[in-house]
Amino acid sequence: MNLNLLAYLLFFPATLALAVGVARTCHRNGRPWMLRLFDGDAAFVDAVNNILLVACYMVNLGYIALVMADWERIDSPAMLFATLTQRMATIIIALAALHYQNIAVLLIWSRLRNRSKAHHAPPAPGIDKPGT
Amino acid sequence: MSNKIVLTYLIYLPVVAGLTLYVARALFRNGRVFMLDIFKGKVDIADATNRLFEVGFYLVNLGFALRIMQVGGRYNNPLDTNQELVETLAGKVGGFAIYLGLMLFLNLFLFFRGRRKARQGTHGPVVVDPVHA
Repeated sequence: MNLNLLAYLLFFPATLALAVGVARTCHRNGRPWMLRLFDGDAAFVDAVNNILLVACYMVNLGYIALVMADWERIDSPAMLFATLTQRMATIIIALAALHYQNIAVLLIWSRLRNRSKAHHAPPAPGIDKPGT
Repeated sequence: MSNKIVLTYLIYLPVVAGLTLYVARALFRNGRVFMLDIFKGKVDIADATNRLFEVGFYLVNLGFALRIMQVGGRYNNPLDTNQELVETLAGKVGGFAIYLGLMLFLNLFLFFRGRRKARQGTHGPVVVDPVHA
């Protein structure tokens, strides 16, 4: 008996839910950072943030669907578990890598910006207060 | 009917049309802010340009989706089982979704570029960077 189809049917919704959850968390919690980067221009920040969210959905969903092919033949429930966890682990690690990359970009960008701001406008107290 | 190629097409077409529609709507609902910036608040021309770009986006992406639709040609896969159907469809739709994501990033980049150019245009050489002047 071939369980590949069942494996796909389990794999796709599970990883999709994970990817959507991560994307929404980034969307929600990235907003304050972006407000800081774009001088509190809320309309603009929301526009950029929403476009980034959809792009994030598309790329993650696309990758998840793309790797859903050419799995080894799954014959037993034990193998179903083994393969499923293996494949899901790959996706989760990829999501984690993207996540940290996102955080790194935000950090580096705001640091660069603070530095150039400090150069251009010396009397600016409160720039270095994090989270304000 | 043992051959599932036509069934693949019948599933593929609505899925890619829906994806394109969703992405284009999200992109251009939010692109309006950029267009207003670029055209300095002239609402009519900003909306018109936005709409024109939206239609262009539909045409390019739906055209691409149709262009890559054919299955079974490359590997001569007869597509007899449901498993092959799911694998082929996932590959097609996944590839298309990644392409859409890249198109979104490209559009966002163009929006940013237009906005920057527009801002440079308004200020012109009047406001010169005090540090580098």
